Amino acid sequence: MVSLTHVSKIFDGKRKATALEDIDLDIDKGHMVSIVGPSGSGKSTLLNLIGGLDRPTSGDIQIDGENLSELSDDGLTRVRRDKIGFIFQFFNLLPTLNCLENVALPLHLRKWPRRKIEDRAGELLNLVQLGHRLEHLPDELSGGERQRVAIARALSVYPPILLADEPTGNLDTKTGQEILKLIDDLHAQLGSTILIVTHDSEVAERCSRTVVLRDGRIVEDRRQ
Amino acid sequence: MMLLCLLSWPYLRRHLLRWILTVAGIVLGVGVFVAMHTANRSIFRAFDTTIGRIAGTTQLQVSAGEFGFDESILERVQSVPEVGVAVPVVEATVDTNIPGQGSILILGIDMTGDRSLRDYELKDADEAIIDDPLVFLAQPDSLMVTTEFAERNQLAVNSKVQLATIEGNREFTIRGLMNSAGMTRAFGGNLAVMDIYAAQQILGRGRRFDRIDVRAKEGITIDDCQAALKAALGPAFDVDPPSARGRHFEALLQSYSTAMMISSLFALMVGMFIIYNSFAIAVTHRRSEIGVLRALGATRHQIQTLFLVESIIAGTFGSILGASVGITAALVIAQWISSVLETAGGVAQRVSELEVDPTLIAAGVIAGITTSVVAAWIPARNAARVDPVQALQKGKYQVLSMGENRRRRWMALTAFLMASVCLLLSDSKPLFYTGYVAMMGAGLLLAPALTLFLSKGLRPVLRRLLPAEGTLAADSLVEAPRRTSATVSALMLSLAMVVGFGGFAHSFYSSIQEWMDNALNPDFFVAPSENLATRSLTFPAEISSVIERVDGVDQVQVVRDARVTYHEVPVMVIAIETEKVASTVHRTPVAGSLEEMNRLTAEGKGLFVSESFATNLKTKMADVVELPTPSGLLKLPIVGIIRDYSDLRGSLFIDRSVYRDWWKDDTVNIARVYVRKGQNVEAVRQRVIQTLSSRYRLLVLTNREVRDWIMKLLDQWFGMTYNQIVVAVLVAVLGIVNTLTVSITDRKRELGVMQAVGGLRSQIRWTVWIEALTIGVIGLILGTCLGAVNLYYTLGMIKRDLGGIGLDYIFPSAFMMLMVPIILGAAWIAALGPGEAAVRGSLVEALEYE
Repeated sequence: MVSLTHVSKIFDGKRKATALEDIDLDIDKGHMVSIVGPSGSGKSTLLNLIGGLDRPTSGDIQIDGENLSELSDDGLTRVRRDKIGFIFQFFNLLPTLNCLENVALPLHLRKWPRRKIEDRAGELLNLVQLGHRLEHLPDELSGGERQRVAIARALSVYPPILLADEPTGNLDTKTGQEILKLIDDLHAQLGSTILIVTHDSEVAERCSRTVVLRDGRIVEDRRQ
Repeated sequence: MMLLCLLSWPYLRRHLLRWILTVAGIVLGVGVFVAMHTANRSIFRAFDTTIGRIAGTTQLQVSAGEFGFDESILERVQSVPEVGVAVPVVEATVDTNIPGQGSILILGIDMTGDRSLRDYELKDADEAIIDDPLVFLAQPDSLMVTTEFAERNQLAVNSKVQLATIEGNREFTIRGLMNSAGMTRAFGGNLAVMDIYAAQQILGRGRRFDRIDVRAKEGITIDDCQAALKAALGPAFDVDPPSARGRHFEALLQSYSTAMMISSLFALMVGMFIIYNSFAIAVTHRRSEIGVLRALGATRHQIQTLFLVESIIAGTFGSILGASVGITAALVIAQWISSVLETAGGVAQRVSELEVDPTLIAAGVIAGITTSVVAAWIPARNAARVDPVQALQKGKYQVLSMGENRRRRWMALTAFLMASVCLLLSDSKPLFYTGYVAMMGAGLLLAPALTLFLSKGLRPVLRRLLPAEGTLAADSLVEAPRRTSATVSALMLSLAMVVGFGGFAHSFYSSIQEWMDNALNPDFFVAPSENLATRSLTFPAEISSVIERVDGVDQVQVVRDARVTYHEVPVMVIAIETEKVASTVHRTPVAGSLEEMNRLTAEGKGLFVSESFATNLKTKMADVVELPTPSGLLKLPIVGIIRDYSDLRGSLFIDRSVYRDWWKDDTVNIARVYVRKGQNVEAVRQRVIQTLSSRYRLLVLTNREVRDWIMKLLDQWFGMTYNQIVVAVLVAVLGIVNTLTVSITDRKRELGVMQAVGGLRSQIRWTVWIEALTIGVIGLILGTCLGAVNLYYTLGMIKRDLGGIGLDYIFPSAFMMLMVPIILGAAWIAALGPGEAAVRGSLVEALEYE
């Protein structure tokens, strides 16, 4: 499903910083994989590259057989749109849109018919147990509820791949547990390939495979 | 100073584009101010230069308006004991027939006496002339031109030049080149001197002079000489220093000058809003920085001073640049206005160089800096009031506070009530203008609230059009009214100015059209020059009977008009064959009865005046007008008031018989010709040309050609309206670019999320474009409303103080429809850069942006 070959990422700035160095990684379809490592190890960078939010300095990334480095910016966007769902640490919900509108946003961008959008958005919010909060704005929700909305948005077209960057990083322990359970349930239900970036070992234990990064390199690849 | 280096400079470097846009607002305001005033001053100076240079050592000039007077007056002047030198002058502009040279100012002088007043400093000349001016006189085709004119056209002594005279094109021989630094600068160097009697002949003066130039006897003061001449000649004659003509010219230009001044003030105000917007946004963005400063011990005064110093720096830089731009543009503007004045007013002046007044430039720079400081005052004060604790927290700071909103609404209501009261008492000039300012102020105070209201109102529409892009664009406006409202205010004010001028132009065009339909209805006109405003060339009276004898001609009406000074105001006296005109011209008088007015005027028992005359000279029906004439004071009551546009300062209509009796002049300016029913107009016109062209230089203009000439003149006068449109478009572009560059910074994360969840670049661009177009729409709606109010006051101002012209209120709907695509187009263009910026850059950074 996801294949990285000799992928490196060097950030150009006042000083060059190597975020990732010569990464080779293959992830099969339907697996739930955690990517762990200390701060600055390159976890988020790796996720951003896989998600097409950024481009590697060298190497190839293939998503479902499609080489991302050969795609234009709009091409990358289409891959993101059709095959990848993002869950961010800070939710990244749009504050002026209510829950239904936030979940519907990706569908509007795909020019789906209005009725179909409303049906799908409602269905997704029910899936994350927020069917009773359709009209609420993000600042009227708790942290956990916001993350649920973000998850529902990520699932808008039931993408084969879900990328979660520290999905519980901004939540208290109890809420974090609830979110993880939700992700687990969705994985079981939908069979998506899920990559979770985390520094929390408890999160990693829930996944069938853990990839450990340190200083931009894979130092360990554990399968549970 | 330290804070400037540590904080202001890095901020400026990070937001260089925004700073450039801020400065551009000042450049625009100061540039227009300096350009308009410098152009104005240059035109006056050019006219004064022409007058002064030609005057030489003349101390007084005897004249009787543009009619001139009989030669016999010269003897009366010379016989006044206080007079030392008195020489007659005939002056007129004629076409040179030289490509690219346009017209030339002919000075007809008496060579035997004139050299005691003017020094020609002949550089090259027939040797004989230098010694004996009678040699010059003996050759009636003699001409002296300036060295500048000669060099420009590769002419020398004994070269031939063709001039368009009343007798047709005549050839003249250059017998001398004038090198005088004085004379050569008159009329841009296009000056020629000839013998006065030859000039009388070729210009159709008969036995009349235009004026007599006088120098007082040695030991006699100018005032004493002036008093003596006035006593000897009576009230029919003006005896003034040459500079008085400049004052009359100024009076003629007054309405145009005032309009330019208003235009420049508007530009400064609009610049002020752009600056206010920039500083308000800067303060908002730097809240946390300000909070940190305050937490570290900076006083409120230090914070306020920091921002004010930034505004002074921006103001100084922008003002100096604006002044430079203004000076560059001034010459072009001056030359354009100059050509309009020459065509429309028949006034001889030629702008060839700029008259730059350092005081004016300094005033412009000070105005620009002051505007910048005034505009930045409120944001600077707000910056000083930032609460350190709140500033360091995240939160909605773009929203207008409830208190602020309420305060503005109360102030707006107060201003509106004040304006309404002033409207009821608008007969009083101070109250009229107070009401005007109050009403515009009310509109501007309400702009933020109305912007928010319209943004919310447009949200469902935009959502329906483009659910994702449109909704986000509308939300961006709703969530940040502070960011948007200043731009909308600037656009609103600018469009109000456009509607004011455009509406005035539209009403004026309509009125002129009506006037032309009623009053200018002959089939064709016979004139001595292409420039119908030229009154320096006249036909002899016999031309009427000659034309009437042409086969197919039904009726000929001859007209003699000229400008005279009445109560210090230059007005037009128009002598018409009243009975004949009454049979063909039917118009509704503003006051009086048409039949009565025509009857009394034809009988020589009254005169009728234009509405602008009545307003400017504060006269009404039955008031007695005392006109100075060569035969004494002509006293006639006003028996009618009409809408007439023969002269914008005012016109009086008397019967031709009265004119002949009192002015002792039989000449005519224009013959109005009506063709017999059933005859082919063009054929009759050709017959007239064939009959007259061998005897006179004339132009036979069809009704359509005359209308086209007038409309072209109007287009030139109102060309300034198009300048206002350019200013409005620039304001739209500047303001919207400013707002959007901030918007995409504020929305960086939001736009990143949109891309992350599958928004294509085109969709991101669209959300930015829609935001810009929505600002344009809101600006158009509010600008149209404020413009409708501004038009009312503009027409009132014109009636009271700018020419006395009464115009109907006609909202320029078609014109405003044209503004819609222009402003929306400008908004879209303004959004192109920010739209591209929104899709460039790192998506990861955008998602992490706080």
